[in-house]
Amino acid sequence: MTEAAVTRRRHRAWIRLRRDRSLLIMTIPAGVLLLVFGYTPMLGLIMAFQNYSIYNGILHSPWAGLSNFQQLFTDPGFWQAFGNTLELFSIQLVLTFPIPIALAILLDSVLSRRVRSIVQSVVTLPHFFSMVMVVTIFNEVLGGSGLLDTALRAHGVANPPQIMTNPGLFKFLVSGQLIWKESGWSMIVYLAALAAISPTLYEASAVDGANWWGRMRHITLPGLRPIMVLLLILNIGYALTFGFEQMLIQLSAVGPGAAQVLSTFSYENGIVQGNYSYGAAAGLFLGVTSVILLLGANKFAHALGQDGLYRK
Amino acid sequence: MSQPAMSRRGFLTAAAGTAGAVAAAPLLAACGTGAAVQTGSTSANTLAKILPTYVPLNIAGIKPDYPSVDGTEPGYLSYPTKLVRTVTGTPGSGGSYTGISPYWGSIPRTSGNTYYDAVNSALGATMQWQPTNGDTISTTLPTLFAGNQLPDWIDVPTFAMPPGFGQATQERLADLTPYLAGDKIKEYPNLAAIFPAGWQQGVWNGKIVGIPTVVSGFSTAVYLYYRADILDKLGLGTPSVKNISDLFDLGKEINDPKAGRWAFDDIWPFLTYPYGFEASWSLNDKGDLITQWETEGIIEAMNWERKIFQAGMVSPDGVAGDTSTAKQRFWSGQNVIYADGSGSWSGGDVISGTAADKSYVRMAFDFFAADGGTPRIPLSPPTEYLSYLNRDLKPAQIKEILRIANFLAAPFGSYEFTLINYGAANVDYTMTKDGPVPTATGNKDVAAAALLLLASPNNPISSPGYPSVTTLSARYQQRNVKYSYKPLFYATNVTVPNDLVTTAANAPFSNPTNNIMFEVVRGRSTISDYQSTLNEWLRGGGNKLKAFYETIRAKQGTA
Repeated sequence: MTEAAVTRRRHRAWIRLRRDRSLLIMTIPAGVLLLVFGYTPMLGLIMAFQNYSIYNGILHSPWAGLSNFQQLFTDPGFWQAFGNTLELFSIQLVLTFPIPIALAILLDSVLSRRVRSIVQSVVTLPHFFSMVMVVTIFNEVLGGSGLLDTALRAHGVANPPQIMTNPGLFKFLVSGQLIWKESGWSMIVYLAALAAISPTLYEASAVDGANWWGRMRHITLPGLRPIMVLLLILNIGYALTFGFEQMLIQLSAVGPGAAQVLSTFSYENGIVQGNYSYGAAAGLFLGVTSVILLLGANKFAHALGQDGLYRK
Repeated sequence: MSQPAMSRRGFLTAAAGTAGAVAAAPLLAACGTGAAVQTGSTSANTLAKILPTYVPLNIAGIKPDYPSVDGTEPGYLSYPTKLVRTVTGTPGSGGSYTGISPYWGSIPRTSGNTYYDAVNSALGATMQWQPTNGDTISTTLPTLFAGNQLPDWIDVPTFAMPPGFGQATQERLADLTPYLAGDKIKEYPNLAAIFPAGWQQGVWNGKIVGIPTVVSGFSTAVYLYYRADILDKLGLGTPSVKNISDLFDLGKEINDPKAGRWAFDDIWPFLTYPYGFEASWSLNDKGDLITQWETEGIIEAMNWERKIFQAGMVSPDGVAGDTSTAKQRFWSGQNVIYADGSGSWSGGDVISGTAADKSYVRMAFDFFAADGGTPRIPLSPPTEYLSYLNRDLKPAQIKEILRIANFLAAPFGSYEFTLINYGAANVDYTMTKDGPVPTATGNKDVAAAALLLLASPNNPISSPGYPSVTTLSARYQQRNVKYSYKPLFYATNVTVPNDLVTTAANAPFSNPTNNIMFEVVRGRSTISDYQSTLNEWLRGGGNKLKAFYETIRAKQGTA
């Protein structure tokens, strides 16, 4: 690169900074927030390489090298949590991902505004419930002393299914709870994307003789694709931190064999048992793996010619 | 007076952050003193030298209807209406202090609180009482210690002690030995009336550090309660349960899921008694020290409880491990037999129980041995709640707080006791023939349990207005106390070396709702899973911990 080219490039960067300055200033508060509450606490991850004691603090706790990680990777409980995380996340992803899309398309085809807004309100509402409430509601209906089992017992079924305490069904239960809670909320994004598709496309294809399925395949789904890919990648980034609250509340009902995930593992060892270094080691592993997954998914999206998290 | 409504087994539904929260624990914990932490315990000689002299109080006009027998809690059927003062003058000298203690229930307002104002004006000091959510205290305390933000006075429950607490007693908390050892405690007569075993629990490495509160000479983890009214209705009368199979047979007769009635809740915390593994440490046949996890009793207990789970005799919420609504299940009659603390026998319980079911009566099974032999009750430490003073306080300040503690520890029925428990007369309570009855303001403002966990007298049994409950509870203790004994390391604090701190937390066995026994009785793990978890724990530090305790036993000469 010649010197002139370098100068020109610097010059261009300066011009862009000047041009975008108001936008950049607007990002400062978010940046500060991220720095203070996102990055600064990360310094505490040092304790993953120490035998941290709350009385000695990070400055005076003895170094432990990689021994916490060695212990972590030989801990069967950790691998159980790792396996559960992947299993629960994949099943949840497969089961829950398509539903808001279907819901959005369905709702988009409803012509009555009144019906649309009522349905939308009803399906969006559960998003605002806390997980504790969602699990409680599920327990009241499907739990061992809930509506279903009580009714079955009253009708002579000696051993009703007790869905809430069945470790085998837990993965589907988790997905069910998420579908009930989040589908309506996720649908909103898709509805917005649908609204952005120009009606002229549908009119033109109708004139060309495309039926309902043809229009769906060639206009609706391709129109939704960028947002689908974006949400999918973001979802994958959360794969390993998946379901902390949901699992913690239901952990005792189905046991760690079914419900212990990496985030609850880290919490249990770090916060509950006070083994902070070990918990931090698990947390660090979780964070690093999540970043790798996120970047990998993004790369994959680019390879498929999609935008992914950002345009390449 | 009932013990504060606590539950060491309470499930922490509080969802704090996860990985981020672990990492975000304060960076800047204060420096240690640099001196090495002293490990081990207190020798019998040192203990004899420093233990505060025990001077029981004899207050004219306050005589228990059920006097203490071998350490049982004294029972009072009525509340004295003529209140005697035990402290002359105001204990405070105008100081201003903060006090943190766990509290269960909604936290009363701070400003304009009639109760705090009345107490503070009687104390002659400005105490900032800070009741803190008891359900999350075990995660609150470590951050206070790590951030070096301890208040002047703090209650650290034994079930919420941050790991390696021995180090805190040496570096962060005030040494009270110069003020309380031996006869010096006589300056604080109400504190001197606290049982010596309670004070022993406040001793760490040869120094008095903790002030014991709500001390009992007959402390057990739980009682096994049953609904006497339901048994009556079923025509089962007063049950006679002499061994574990009696209990199983009784359960079979009670159990009727179709009617929404289950015989049992998860009664694991009680099974530690009939199967003889309640004591944390004991000696095996060869005279070697073993942990409760290595006893044969624990295996038998798991097998037995698994049987009642399999037979469908445990209520669904009990199976799900939901301990937070165990009392409600008992009140509503969904569970007929369940395990809970001794404080559950109270006037408040009668109010809640009869609200759910008019005929509600709570009774408890006497302790028994699984095989029908003589029951054995290893006593739990005399209290689960001790308070500590900040090391940064000056001697004059420590003395002032100790005088305040002396005020808070005034005995049952005294003027001070009534003020602390019920607040200001005619504002927070009105005196009736049955004793003090809280007013609406009192119900809102009084936070007695919080203050009593900083300092209090030995636990009395009293439920003003409900003498029958007092009678049941007091007689129960008197019947069962003869089977009690002090187990190894009773009321003894041990500072373990740093490399054993994690092991000593007994993670695989101690997590209240997610431990290996919990899994085995529910059929999700097997006894051999239990064995391998135990072996792994022993290999990973448990054996070293045992060897360490063996040295302490040798030094103490307790066997």
